[in-house]
Amino acid sequence: MIEPAVVFEDVGYAYQEAPREAVSDINLRIGAGEWVGITGPTNAGKSTLCLLAMGLAPHFFGGTLRGKVTVLGTESRAIKVIERSTDVGLLFQNPFTQISGARERVDEEVAFGPECHGVAQAEVEERVEETMRLVGISALAARHPLDLSGGQLQRLALAGLLAMRPKVLLLDEPTSQLDPAGTAAIFEVLGGLHESGTTIVMVEHRLETLCELCPRIVAMVGGRVVADGTPQDVFGREVVQERVGLPVYTRLARSAALPAPWPVRLAESAKAFGAPIA
Amino acid sequence: MAGGLSLYQEGASLLHRAHPLTKGVLMLSAIALAFIAPSLYWILGIALILLILVIVAGVLRRLIAVALALLLPITVLLLAVQGFANPANHTVLFAIGPVVYYTEGLYIAAIASLRITCLVVATFLFSFTTRPADITEALMQRGLSPAMGYVVQSALQIIPQTLDMAVRIQDAQRSRGLETGGSLPKRARAYIPLMLPLVLSSLVATQERAMALEVRGFGLPVKRTNRYEFADNAIQRITRWALALAVPAAIVARFVGWR
Repeated sequence: MIEPAVVFEDVGYAYQEAPREAVSDINLRIGAGEWVGITGPTNAGKSTLCLLAMGLAPHFFGGTLRGKVTVLGTESRAIKVIERSTDVGLLFQNPFTQISGARERVDEEVAFGPECHGVAQAEVEERVEETMRLVGISALAARHPLDLSGGQLQRLALAGLLAMRPKVLLLDEPTSQLDPAGTAAIFEVLGGLHESGTTIVMVEHRLETLCELCPRIVAMVGGRVVADGTPQDVFGREVVQERVGLPVYTRLARSAALPAPWPVRLAESAKAFGAPIA
Repeated sequence: MAGGLSLYQEGASLLHRAHPLTKGVLMLSAIALAFIAPSLYWILGIALILLILVIVAGVLRRLIAVALALLLPITVLLLAVQGFANPANHTVLFAIGPVVYYTEGLYIAAIASLRITCLVVATFLFSFTTRPADITEALMQRGLSPAMGYVVQSALQIIPQTLDMAVRIQDAQRSRGLETGGSLPKRARAYIPLMLPLVLSSLVATQERAMALEVRGFGLPVKRTNRYEFADNAIQRITRWALALAVPAAIVARFVGWR
């Protein structure tokens, strides 16, 4: 039995003065080392799920929390966000607000988190160098963070987070501002982290990407989990097909009237169309 | 996007390598002494010392550009106003027809413009050789709270960001037909649709950044790592104390008859 890293038990959460709950009846158990993709249409509650796991909701936003959110064995009500930051990292949708706004160089910005955690200087340097190389921003080390493009800023925000070496990574659309090559590079980094045992919870709209990367997908609609399982299971559900959509390979197989189960990944699709990838 | 509000110029001079507090004390003392010193020669002496430091720091060319833009108009204005119209004028220096220029006015204008020169040169010397982050880091190492240090550091970064955002909002509003020219009341009215999104987006960004700071552990009750190790030694410490003590000493000297 895998030790749970993130557990939602009968969770409902309403933001302050909101007429209804942003998420309701959430029951999820994410094991340590799992890579789980969260998807769903706008206002499905995906980002709120990340904020709840980080503890920002309700600590920062106020509002009403029902049920229990437990991360790495500690219930969210019992720990401050700042204390949770030693083990859990959250990447926001907007990388511009993730950066501290107080540092004049990219490498100094990456060092900000570890320095706040009191990590020894030599180790901070080592982490900064390693994470900048990992996310491909070593050449930007001396640049001002505010002079970077959106994609570069997103890489910087991720580097700043990875330099803190979190055990659980909560990523809210981590590659939304990146080009295809940059996206592939970042997912390769995340793949490496997953292999080394980091738990990853990733909000993502690109269904093909989710299916390729995440062994488990959680689909949300209107603040509720409507499907939870392997990509094949999740996209086999009618409610997901109608409300969330389908990966392009699945749509293609459906329109070609291939027999179910339909493929969700490129390799499966190629095989289904009789041209398997060697 | 806009970078930070920094005039720092990369370099490896003695001034660049000096402790930020030494440079800070040097700047403040030089300005204070220039305004306390009673005679032209003393102020000229301070200005010359500052000029030597500017040359040592390798920022002379950049300073000349600033001086021409900032100091030249002020100096010309002071020389003209004081030399021609100071009430204390009585010794004629030269006369061109009915226009008379006086020695007293020239002396007073020279003192005033030299004092302003010292102020500008000391400030820019400090700014050109010290990164804003260094001074706040140095102060934090001497006991300034990290929260206060962050406020100062981020303010220097955020001002250009906000200006940049204002320009983008203004461009967006103009592209939708908002007229920002014309009479003063018309221009004032045009600023309302500009200010509202600017204030709202700034508030949202501030809230998100506050969250991000918590997520990154800012304010965690542990001893923060000092990224910046500033070289300090006995000579610098003695210099700082000497400069700091020179100011009250000069004030006392003025009271007991330094002329």
